[in-house]
Amino acid sequence: MDFGSFLATPEIKVKVITYRDIFQDKAMIENRFGEEYRNLSAVIKLDPVDLKQLNVKKGDTVILKNSFGRIVVKVDESGYETPHRGVAYMPKSPWSNMLVSDETGGTGIPKFKDISVTITSAKGEKITEIEF
Amino acid sequence: MEKNYHVCTGCSLLCDDIEVEAEKNKINKVHTACRIGVAHMKAGKEEAIFRVDNKPVDEATAISEAAAILKNAKNPMIFGLGASTNEAQKTAIELAKKINATLDDTSSFCLGSLVEALISEKIKTCTLDDVRNKADVIIFWGTDPSDSHPRHLSKYSYFPRGSEKQRGWEEERTAIAIDVRKSHTAKICGNYFFQIPPKGDAEFTDALIAGLSGKLPKTSYNYPPKKILELANILKGAKFGVIFVGRGLIYSLENLEPLFRLMKALNEKANFHLMPMVGNYNTMGFNENLFAETGYVNSVKFENGTVLHGPDYSIVEALKERTVDAALIVGSDPFSILPRSIVKNLLEIPVISIDPYETLTSRNSKVYINTAISGVEAGGSATRMDGKKVSFEPAIETNHPSDETILKKIMEAL
Repeated sequence: MDFGSFLATPEIKVKVITYRDIFQDKAMIENRFGEEYRNLSAVIKLDPVDLKQLNVKKGDTVILKNSFGRIVVKVDESGYETPHRGVAYMPKSPWSNMLVSDETGGTGIPKFKDISVTITSAKGEKITEIEF
Repeated sequence: MEKNYHVCTGCSLLCDDIEVEAEKNKINKVHTACRIGVAHMKAGKEEAIFRVDNKPVDEATAISEAAAILKNAKNPMIFGLGASTNEAQKTAIELAKKINATLDDTSSFCLGSLVEALISEKIKTCTLDDVRNKADVIIFWGTDPSDSHPRHLSKYSYFPRGSEKQRGWEEERTAIAIDVRKSHTAKICGNYFFQIPPKGDAEFTDALIAGLSGKLPKTSYNYPPKKILELANILKGAKFGVIFVGRGLIYSLENLEPLFRLMKALNEKANFHLMPMVGNYNTMGFNENLFAETGYVNSVKFENGTVLHGPDYSIVEALKERTVDAALIVGSDPFSILPRSIVKNLLEIPVISIDPYETLTSRNSKVYINTAISGVEAGGSATRMDGKKVSFEPAIETNHPSDETILKKIMEAL
């Protein structure tokens, strides 16, 4: 078991893979500052075992943090049959982009689909706003 | 009665069979389009908006302020244009030449390297009509068109009964998904979904090449060799195969060599084509138009008649290194689509946003000009993801200027 499990607030490390979602894209076209777009974007999808370890349930908010940013999003179960502990999924959006590294090795291509973060329960903290 | 079909500019499929019902220049019903297309066709706004420093102004003031920003800049950048017509793109290239600008689009951090390989004829490609009429083996690799290009499978790649594929997907087509997650497209592919670990694509490619030559395919993540050999056997039998490549694959590779090797191996045994799943409706047009002008598909800087090229002139590196001192953003929202750790530097320079939509970029711009949605409110031409040229007329009338008109006016004001 990870050391994080023994802390008062459990914390786990995950790799986040981003992807596109048709419902989210449609909501963005209609209003990218609207509630529907935020609900479909500010979300991370985890393996059920990771949810349990974090002591959070579907719909709770969690803090995602790394050296590039800290955001609060809702947590959900991925629904994938194959277990994927330690790998999480987020629709690509301004929220996921707050966690993407600025390291590009001079290639001009950020690591959009390769994000490492720690997750903890946000204990009811509100979803991060995207405005600057 | 002759029907009046419209072109949907919601994605790079440019579906040309769209019917709309409009009242008082507002589209209220859209037929045939996908979920994204319906939202896109209905997105027209009523009033044109021009803003300077977030205050409403008239068009002339916005144009003159935009021109002043570009005139005062030593190293301006023009970025975007994937959602602009070919005509607007060519105007932007002229403008970039005139002001010695850096010019780039989203392809520099998406599929540009692959598009360049295709335009330079380093990889065999085909048209979507060829796919519909002939394709028997279709691979979706690191892409999920069910979400990104929703009518891809129904209009072209899997479900249609093409002229040489009358028995359709039930008997004559095999769709295969290779991905790190079971996407909606992967679900459709059923038993032909090959789930690989993140960053496992290059190894999988080489294992597949080994399998094509009858060798034992090995991966460090112990992918069952039997499954790879089964896949290799399907590919070997393809009379007209096509690989649709998405960012999932490209981001996983250090360079394109594994793809070149795979295409060579496949074409020694069978007949395979490749097509990048470009996103914006006219990214392909931008890449083609810039290539025709400069020999490069993105990331260029014009300098007194010469052209510099390389990652240094991509938006990501230009912002990271703070080499540009003003930005003209056309139909794109870098504040949303780029890492915040990089795009925050854009807050330090004056930005002109030309966009049909209110975005994070429009809200953080010194000048914002709200333009017509091409294909819905303005006409022009574009290049489909497979290189086919498509022309379109506006579906409704609008008082919004097109981005082409605005770019021309800025150029005149200079």
